[in-house]
Amino acid sequence: MELNSIPRLAPGCRLHPTESVLLIPEGTLNLTGPTREILTMLDGTRNVSAVVGDLLHQYEGADEIEVQKDVLDLLNRLQQRGVIRA
Amino acid sequence: MSSAATISPVGSPLSLIAEVTHRCPLHCLYCSNPIEMQRAESELSTEDWKRVFQQAADMGVLHLHLTGGEPLARRDLPELIRAGRDAGLYVNMITSGVGMTEDRLATLVEAGLEHLQLSFQDLEEASANHIAGTRAHAIKLALVPVLKRFHLAFTINLVVHRMNLDRLEEFIALAEDLQPDRLEIAHVQYYGWALKNRSLLMPTEEQVQRSLPIVEAAKERLKGRIHLEAVFPDYFGSFPKACVGGWGRQTMLIDPAGQALPCHSAAIIPGMTFDNVREHDLKWIWESSSAFQRFRGDAWMSPTCLACPRKERDFGGCRCQAFLLTGDPNAIDPVCSFSPHHDLLKDLRVSEPELLPIWRG
Repeated sequence: MELNSIPRLAPGCRLHPTESVLLIPEGTLNLTGPTREILTMLDGTRNVSAVVGDLLHQYEGADEIEVQKDVLDLLNRLQQRGVIRA
Repeated sequence: MSSAATISPVGSPLSLIAEVTHRCPLHCLYCSNPIEMQRAESELSTEDWKRVFQQAADMGVLHLHLTGGEPLARRDLPELIRAGRDAGLYVNMITSGVGMTEDRLATLVEAGLEHLQLSFQDLEEASANHIAGTRAHAIKLALVPVLKRFHLAFTINLVVHRMNLDRLEEFIALAEDLQPDRLEIAHVQYYGWALKNRSLLMPTEEQVQRSLPIVEAAKERLKGRIHLEAVFPDYFGSFPKACVGGWGRQTMLIDPAGQALPCHSAAIIPGMTFDNVREHDLKWIWESSSAFQRFRGDAWMSPTCLACPRKERDFGGCRCQAFLLTGDPNAIDPVCSFSPHHDLLKDLRVSEPELLPIWRG
């Protein structure tokens, strides 16, 4: 996953309409912190940089390098688990 | 007696297994359907299933598993899928692929199908067809590139047993070529027909031990491409599995005629009666029916299980297995090393001489 990758949810994975849960084949992933918000931003057009930009806009004063690293870590983990694609 | 641990209270079920029909083009040697199957005339109507899916969603169920039999045998399948999605459920379908066409699949995906599971009986056509009791292997292989054109999650399920476990590496390679999103390696479970064929199907201890590093290596190798899940066969373990996540804790199964069961096999246990979704709503069945209460919690457990801290994890193991192997559904699951019947399984695990045909003299 790079800053210019465009991640999106894998087929058969979708956010629960109200709860912080990702519905996946044969199970669920509980989403903590801002994970749900981040996954909502994966609309198939935004790249990772754009997602980071949106988050920085929302969480004023957050450290850009740190947010970038956290978002990439999270997306890489979810990609390894097969629930997002880039 | 004071108990060493407590089992957490039951919430709402997470999955609903809808056996929409028992009709099936396959006749697998290890079929998990009951020996006595429900007939087509007794199947629930479209409206019955729609009501059940809405009730399930209302009580907090997340996943709907449409299975059978072969769900494609129901002409109202697209309507059932749409009803599940409209109710808010995640819709999965387990199919043999027999009877599937590109047009039909397009209708199912359009109706809201999110995940499709296709199982393979073996890696070679002749032997796969032999195990499935019909010529399905080539149909399954031909279906995969069609599936890949649609936006849905695709799981391949490799069913493993004595006849194919020695070729697990090649079997995984076949699946890998087909590029599913998920790969499940599932050992045959010895209930129903599989129990009748246990001596033919049950692998030896050596086979199982040899398979373990192969599975681990494949998991590593496929990471990020194919999510691999493999369940260790509990016949070869020292502690039982938390069967269906615990009796009446996570899963509800509705059979084609509307009976609500805690698991596929529960009807084999003597004295069970099952309430029907034609007469009761799902919430009542979950909370109050005798079938779901019977092995919930720990009141039924033997003193050994009652005092054991593992009961929080395995909820006392599998009741059907306890009954099938010991004749007593309340017995300690014989998979457990604390069971006085544990030696039964040890005896089954040793290599037997090959089964040879006996010729007339």
